[in-house]
Amino acid sequence: MAKYGMVIDLNKCTSCQACVTACKLENNVQIVSPDDASEGRTMFWMKMLTLKYEGDYPNVKPKAIPRNCMQCDEPPCIKVCPVRATYKTEVGIVAQIYPQCIGCRYCMANCPYTVKVFNWYKTEQPKEVEKCDNPDVSVRPKGVVEKCTFCVHRLQIAEEKAKAEHRKLQEGDYVPACVEVCPAKAIYFGDLDDTNSDVSKASHDYRAFGLLEELGTIPKVRYLNAIE
Amino acid sequence: MKKFLILIVTVIGFAAGIYTMRGAIDKHYEFTQPIDFSHYVHASKYKIPCIACHQHVLFGARAGIPNIEICGACHSTPMKKTPGEEQVFGYVKSHKQIPWYSIYYVPDYVYFSHLRHVVIGKLDCKLCHGDMAAFTSPPITQFLKIRMSNCIDCHQKRHASTDCWQCHR
Repeated sequence: MAKYGMVIDLNKCTSCQACVTACKLENNVQIVSPDDASEGRTMFWMKMLTLKYEGDYPNVKPKAIPRNCMQCDEPPCIKVCPVRATYKTEVGIVAQIYPQCIGCRYCMANCPYTVKVFNWYKTEQPKEVEKCDNPDVSVRPKGVVEKCTFCVHRLQIAEEKAKAEHRKLQEGDYVPACVEVCPAKAIYFGDLDDTNSDVSKASHDYRAFGLLEELGTIPKVRYLNAIE
Repeated sequence: MKKFLILIVTVIGFAAGIYTMRGAIDKHYEFTQPIDFSHYVHASKYKIPCIACHQHVLFGARAGIPNIEICGACHSTPMKKTPGEEQVFGYVKSHKQIPWYSIYYVPDYVYFSHLRHVVIGKLDCKLCHGDMAAFTSPPITQFLKIRMSNCIDCHQKRHASTDCWQCHR
């Protein structure tokens, strides 16, 4: 079985936030009102994590890195779920089953990366964009926790197509929306077990590091340190 | 005596409530189609395979309802004079889609793929949709009610995956 992982090269990343936009559109992530956003109820699966601001006023450069679900090998969130709504699948992706979720938010509290978001309200969209939802992804109801799934619906469709054509899944058949859209090609994605894949080579680079690795979560999303 | 009367009234009220609820649920699954389409004539008499019209079965998740271009491919010239065929001509000439009602649907949090079941799993259409070739009028209810228990039964029988994330998203 493949073990999917992601490596984000911070040398190439320009913090343009194309991945954030693509993720939001691909996965029907709810757009919240400014009032709710000020209460900290913004919903992002892929979010820019601002580390620091460099320079003085007119020439300020925010240093931000994209942060999605780390799809940990030892996920802390699955250990606290009372209803097994979140668990690690055989391909290493941490699944979130929305109809199973009771919205207790234990997993949110236990996630050291704070990547999980809660649907505080019923999704209300402007009439103009009502039918613009991605039909491959469900619109989550109120009271459910959601998170990045590495665009698992794309994996299902790619796997089906490969099987129908009697071939194996090749590299590049399945990529999440953020990887596809990145203009700087800063995100590598693929099978970590395949030693010839770009992502596997990048994850063993001397610049590679993971966020909060000391917790022992073994994140499958790794970063390549920026060297100036 | 008063207590007894109240008891009777509540019991009758409950019964009536359940009865009307049941009616509402059953009605939800019953439809009348705009044209009296006969699957028997098409599939049984003229031996047209299902996938000739329901083409998307082979390519993706949704089977789709045949559009008017598919009907027009055969019904561009009159074959027999039936009221149903005349209705079809009306739609073909005006390039309007026939407003069929979709009887089968799955909720958006369920992923059901026809490609996976028909092409990869090699399942017969009859298994879920019944013997449509025997129907002389359009179906009005689901043959196999879309329930998770029905899915799980078949998956367990055929040793298919019952992992949640394979179907739910």
